[in-house]
Amino acid sequence: MAVVDHSAELARAGANVRGWTGSLLFFVRRYPLGAIGAVIMAAFVLTALFADQISTFDPFTTNARISLARPGGEHILGADFMGRDVFARIVYGARISLAVSVGATVLGCLIGVTIGLMSGFFGGWFDLIVQRLMDIMQSLPLLVMALVMAASLGPSLTNTIIAIAIPLVPNVARIIRSNTLSLREMPFVEAARAIGMSETRIAVVHVLPNTLAPLIVLATAQLGSAILVESSLAFLGLGVPEPHPSWGRMLSESAAEYVRTAPWLVIFPGIAISAVVFGTNLFGDAIRDILDPRQRM
Amino acid sequence: MAAYIVRRLLLMLVTLIGMSILIFVMLRLVPGNITDIIFDSAGFVNPAQKKKIERQLGLDQPIAVQYVTWIGGLMRGDLGYAYVSEKPAIEEILPRIPVTAKLALLALIFSIIIGVPLGVVSAVRQNTTLDYVLRVLSLSGLSLPSFWLGLLILMAFVQFWGWIPIYRSDTGSIWEEIALLSIPAAAVGFRSSALVMRLTRSSMLEVLRQDYIRTARAKGASDTSVNYDHALRNAVLPVVTIIGIEAAFLIGGLIVTETVFNVPGVARFLVEAIRWRDYPIVQNLVMFIAIIVVVVNFLVDLMYVVLDPRIKYEE
Amino acid sequence: MRISFGFAAAFSVALLGQVLPVLAQKQGGTLRIYHRSTPPSASIHEEATIDTVQGFMPVFNNLVVFDQTKPLNTPETIVPDLAESWSWDATNTKLTFKLHSGVKWHDGKPFTAKDVQCTWNKLIGKDQDDFRKNPRAIWWQNLKEVTVNGDLEATFVLNRPQPAFLSLFASGYTPVYPCHVSAKDMRTSPVGTGPFKFVEFKRGESIKLVRNPDYFKKGKPHVDAIDWKIIENRSTRILAFVAGEFDMTFGTDVTIPLLKDVQSQAPKATCEVAPTYVSTNLIVNPKAPPFNDPKVREAMALTLDRKAFSDTLSGGQANIAGVMLPPPEGVWGMPPEVMETMPGYSKDVDKNRAEARKIMESLGYSESKPLKVKVSTRNIAVYRDPAVLLIDQLKKIYIEGELEVIDNSIWHAKVTRNEFSVGLNLTGVGVDDPDVNLYENYSCESERNLTKYCNKEVDALIDKQSQEADKEKRKKIVWDIERKLAADLARPIILYDRAATCWQPHLKGFVLHHNSIYNNWRYEDVWLDK
Repeated sequence: MAVVDHSAELARAGANVRGWTGSLLFFVRRYPLGAIGAVIMAAFVLTALFADQISTFDPFTTNARISLARPGGEHILGADFMGRDVFARIVYGARISLAVSVGATVLGCLIGVTIGLMSGFFGGWFDLIVQRLMDIMQSLPLLVMALVMAASLGPSLTNTIIAIAIPLVPNVARIIRSNTLSLREMPFVEAARAIGMSETRIAVVHVLPNTLAPLIVLATAQLGSAILVESSLAFLGLGVPEPHPSWGRMLSESAAEYVRTAPWLVIFPGIAISAVVFGTNLFGDAIRDILDPRQRM
Repeated sequence: MAAYIVRRLLLMLVTLIGMSILIFVMLRLVPGNITDIIFDSAGFVNPAQKKKIERQLGLDQPIAVQYVTWIGGLMRGDLGYAYVSEKPAIEEILPRIPVTAKLALLALIFSIIIGVPLGVVSAVRQNTTLDYVLRVLSLSGLSLPSFWLGLLILMAFVQFWGWIPIYRSDTGSIWEEIALLSIPAAAVGFRSSALVMRLTRSSMLEVLRQDYIRTARAKGASDTSVNYDHALRNAVLPVVTIIGIEAAFLIGGLIVTETVFNVPGVARFLVEAIRWRDYPIVQNLVMFIAIIVVVVNFLVDLMYVVLDPRIKYEE
Repeated sequence: MRISFGFAAAFSVALLGQVLPVLAQKQGGTLRIYHRSTPPSASIHEEATIDTVQGFMPVFNNLVVFDQTKPLNTPETIVPDLAESWSWDATNTKLTFKLHSGVKWHDGKPFTAKDVQCTWNKLIGKDQDDFRKNPRAIWWQNLKEVTVNGDLEATFVLNRPQPAFLSLFASGYTPVYPCHVSAKDMRTSPVGTGPFKFVEFKRGESIKLVRNPDYFKKGKPHVDAIDWKIIENRSTRILAFVAGEFDMTFGTDVTIPLLKDVQSQAPKATCEVAPTYVSTNLIVNPKAPPFNDPKVREAMALTLDRKAFSDTLSGGQANIAGVMLPPPEGVWGMPPEVMETMPGYSKDVDKNRAEARKIMESLGYSESKPLKVKVSTRNIAVYRDPAVLLIDQLKKIYIEGELEVIDNSIWHAKVTRNEFSVGLNLTGVGVDDPDVNLYENYSCESERNLTKYCNKEVDALIDKQSQEADKEKRKKIVWDIERKLAADLARPIILYDRAATCWQPHLKGFVLHHNSIYNNWRYEDVWLDK
């Protein structure tokens, strides 16, 4: 796979590429669903960043008098069993979800890229062992793997992120490795080698940038799925623990207890999760269309 | 071909041995063991008695010895005794497999029946309103937490029909059981069908752009004939692959759904066993799942090789 | 609709059910109940959880039992079970039971006094095939030996008089086990003399019991079988009850916030709210600085706003309590006006907290320099929710709590090793009697005294009340002990929760106990009007 030149790609598609705003406008027109996804993601990130400005209530303060208060009035999305403002918890929960999705994706990709790059570039016994290791990790479904990881690491935010990141490693490593393998034989790599560049330098400077496109495609798809895995873990009692306002736990615990007594406790975190995952999926689709022409839709 | 198969089988063996070591070590890294669990329900801990139980279960031995004991037993077909129920592990695992298998199969059928036709329609009508609607729908299928979907379905049944579709062991016939299981299967299959649909669509699109399709069109074949006779047949291969892999991975989705619909299958049992630190159950069950995944992957690859002569089987 | 909220209503309804003329019971049918989780084992003596007691009490008989048709457990409501009669000797240290003749174990072997001896020999550690764990060993610390006289007489010899001793036999926690069945078999496939025989126990799935046709109480039980289905997801099981899938909920499974929903969805069902006699309590490690300073502990006692806990956790219906469950359900607890005089129980929370802040300030803490502490609890909502409230309340007196969620498997191990400073725990009380509650949770010797609180003066008082035959005098001693425990902040009780148990209108003959959740699950009087 060759380097994907973004603007050339756009130009080929008949766009009138004129700088940054131009390509943005083109993106919106060419990929309306992707644009919607981007807007949702932006809203999500901004909510996480400016949580303290957006919410007037503290997400941790309990108040017996408003236990299970209905939505409306001062507490626009109501209050949970402990009398904590649901809106505040969802807004602050965006931070947790952002940390989980970005944290797990970045961590998984970092490890996966390192392993895949080394494996593809050095080959030999290292590659052999790593490939078997990846085989082993892929012989369990992702949720089962995450479940065992989460159980062995114990409940905490960091551990949940690690537990979700590790099962992602083999997928990333595989893609990077196969790309590296084909790139290794490319003329420009041969040329770099001929002028005496060190292997590590070649790997980082020449090979890595050219594997970014499939990596980005995989990573954007992973963002949403990390949030879903966290909520499933929470449902099984293993996600991000209290006192962090995790959407997954808010949803799964309310769903287990108050699904009918206080439906707003279930509806709002559910909408938050679904909307963000939906947004990342829409965006991911568009990104894939742009970056991975082979699978163009 | 024979060499390829032997090579693959050897690699499978290596993978499974590696898996056994990985799960064995990881389980022992999980804080607390069965003796902690046993004392938990008594609300106190008696250290002397705890040591005694650990000795009885062989948990005081070096980890390598424990591993060899397990694998040795496995070779002889002896899975050991479940810690919690104190029954042979095989008696705990085996009866729970059929119900999960039925559920997975139904979910798979569901995802194919829904996913493939919608994918084809979406591809043929690319960039029409219908295509957009179907794509958004499939994405929403991938965006809902599955336990949420399951609970919403349960609530709807209770609300509108005053009846709850949770598992019953005393259904009269196999058809009644299938009818009952089809509801949780639909909940799991919804997500898979979205995957299948998206894959069918992109696979179809790629095939539709191929030269031979253009040729067929140029030769005057009707649209319907081109779309369904020529294109679909060729698009089906990658779809089969993903369905095969998805089948093994349905287990992940089943964990949550079995909990919500109270289906006494292996997936939920695995979670319970992890919670109870019931090593013999977890180890053997995880190996069982790994074997299924590895074998399904192998079969899918093999099928690929057989179906598509363009693929060479040297790796 | 017979749904009751306040205690008075619940109580009168229960009484009403009892006074009404007993209709002719119908025989037959299968009693369908859901279970909230898989019992750890079937052996009641080895477990300390309602999960095992409620599931397997129908398999067994006791020597004596709390009347299954009366809502309150008191010494006066103890009725014969396997024992036809009982008597104390002149020294009040020998309790002799005359046993029912012609009773058979479910496997056909005859029941004799030897079985009684075996059971208690295991409980006091005299038997070789002992239990893996014996959580209520402390109940029997005063028991010297059990002697038999023929097949139908067993005598319990005590070290010293203990008037409440008989109450210990009446709990669901105290079945008689057969000599000839191993402890292991009792955990997996129990054999009893009770109204129902054990059929199967599938983890995560079901427990099946079937009517014992040879039951020694003629004409009982009335239903042919009991079918437990284990449903761990609460939404699923409550929905299933509402949909009519079950005749009855698990005991006290319907929490106050859920009750409203069940009432509106299943208006014909009877839902009775009663105390669970499971306390939400604070455990403080007196060895971990700065909690070794009694002043810090005093400040913590003062910041507790028990009413806020009750309001949030159970719609204000929980019992604010000392160690013993307060009246009217509790037999030994303090009335509110007495309780309010104990340290930390005064209603004026703001005043208490002002005082607590002064104490903390004198120790050098302030808003800007708070005392940082980890609040440990288990990873279960009923533990976590009050812990979150506690942290919020500690904040008011310059204590900054951070929640530390501990995996269930290692909770007791950690607490036993004293690896915590402040924690939140739940403790169930088997019998509403000071001998059970005080010895188990506050005496130096008890294994279940989690904080290892040990005060010789309190121990002496516990022994003293245990030997006092006069109820009123005993109560006064118990209250003295309560005051001392409150002052020492020894595992202070925050509250005793309440929850509802619901059953369908066609289920008859069931009476819910109001001062224990562990003693009324024999199901021999229950019948189905279908």
